[in-house]
Amino acid sequence: MSEVIVITSGKGGVGKTTTTANVGTGLAQLDKKVVLIDTDIGLRNLDVVMGLENRIVYNLVDVVEGNCRVKQALIKDKKYPNLCLLPSAQTRDKTSVTPEQMVKLVDELREEFDYILLDCPAGIEQGFQNAIAAADRALVVTTPEVSAIRDADRIIGLLEANDIHNTRLIVNRLRMDMVKRGDMMSIDDVHEILAVDLIGAVPDDEQIVISTNQGEPLVGSDTLAGQAYMNICHRILGEEVPLLDLDSKNGIWSKLAGLFKKN
Amino acid sequence: MSQPVVLKSNPHGINLILDPDMPFTELKKEILKRFEESDRFFKNAKIGLSFEGRVLSQEQEYEILDLIEKNTTIHVVCIIENDERIDAYYAEKIRAFEDAQAGRTGEFYKGTLRSGQVIECESSIVILGDVNPGAKIIARGNIVILGSLKGNAYAGAAGDESAFVAALDMDPVQIRIGDAIGRSADKGPLSAIKNRKKVMEPQIAIVSEDGILIEPITKGLFK
Repeated sequence: MSEVIVITSGKGGVGKTTTTANVGTGLAQLDKKVVLIDTDIGLRNLDVVMGLENRIVYNLVDVVEGNCRVKQALIKDKKYPNLCLLPSAQTRDKTSVTPEQMVKLVDELREEFDYILLDCPAGIEQGFQNAIAAADRALVVTTPEVSAIRDADRIIGLLEANDIHNTRLIVNRLRMDMVKRGDMMSIDDVHEILAVDLIGAVPDDEQIVISTNQGEPLVGSDTLAGQAYMNICHRILGEEVPLLDLDSKNGIWSKLAGLFKKN
Repeated sequence: MSQPVVLKSNPHGINLILDPDMPFTELKKEILKRFEESDRFFKNAKIGLSFEGRVLSQEQEYEILDLIEKNTTIHVVCIIENDERIDAYYAEKIRAFEDAQAGRTGEFYKGTLRSGQVIECESSIVILGDVNPGAKIIARGNIVILGSLKGNAYAGAAGDESAFVAALDMDPVQIRIGDAIGRSADKGPLSAIKNRKKVMEPQIAIVSEDGILIEPITKGLFK
């Protein structure tokens, strides 16, 4: 049984692409067959974050227009052979693909992969409609800012209107120090406003910037963000994982130190 | 009015402008006089006739038509009703009736309204869920929200200022009732979230002399 998950947010710059790269890589680390589809036609960058830009020959629009077969356009990941990327086209725009064509393409991929992740563009126009057309469920990414929350609320409404009800929330770029001071919304605040179940909270971590710039997703590494993303992957598989304690300053080391203190 | 009866021709007929105060029997004589004077001009014309300046009963209209048919060569083909006061009168009556209906009957909506979602309703409406910021409810009658009102609500949308908006948790961006508008205090969005009430208090918004008034729904309120 394959599952098609769209990663969306409404607002730009909240971490959809980073989340897609990390969740996809994390699921591949857990031995699932995963394909990532970049649906942001014209503003391609999932390939850059994955460090696979230099391998692109064909893209999503080529597949849809029949210039190549799906297999020819899929790029295998550097580290995980069970992880593939279908890159977007950079020279075209969102109208190059229709929702019907996306459904057909995704149905073809369902036969071969366990998880199909769709990286949705910002906005609610055709790019969004294309991305959600084939999705079984959605992960809505937001940051704890009022503007991002407002857009997430709109997106959740649009997803419901398109019969996608199994939506989960990722609160990204959380800064616990600011939450403590009352200068940032807490996870509870966000949950209260959006009334959608949380699947994970990811701390604001400079390691994310570093890993993105290197083209190597950090999921599974012993950074806080890496652990947070891995926990999200486990929860996607249906496992119950407690929420990460984002308060610890140095990730796993302070946790270990905390263990010693308790004893 | 200088003349009790004025004939004004238009491309399709005659506007008969009548003195509103003159007794009808005298008015009839004046009308007859005017038509006889202009009979040669209108000879055998087929016209539409409209009455202005005075509200006439059906019998009175028939009497005038009779008068014209018997004493002149003019053929009145139809009567065109264009009295703005009558139109306004009808519109007002119909609106009042519909407003009264809207206040009495209602619809239900189950679910949370999220940003960008709009519900329009010709009657009153009960929402079982929250109305989030950026969402909007427009109802001709009253609005009752069994949840939090954090967005926009517009009750009495046809102008009925006796309509109300009630919610279990009242924290609206804007409330409109009839022509009255009330908006939230100018606080930052984060402080609004951080300072939200911990305990829900049902409140009702109505129109008072000073604009929109929001007060708690307590036992004594509806006595």
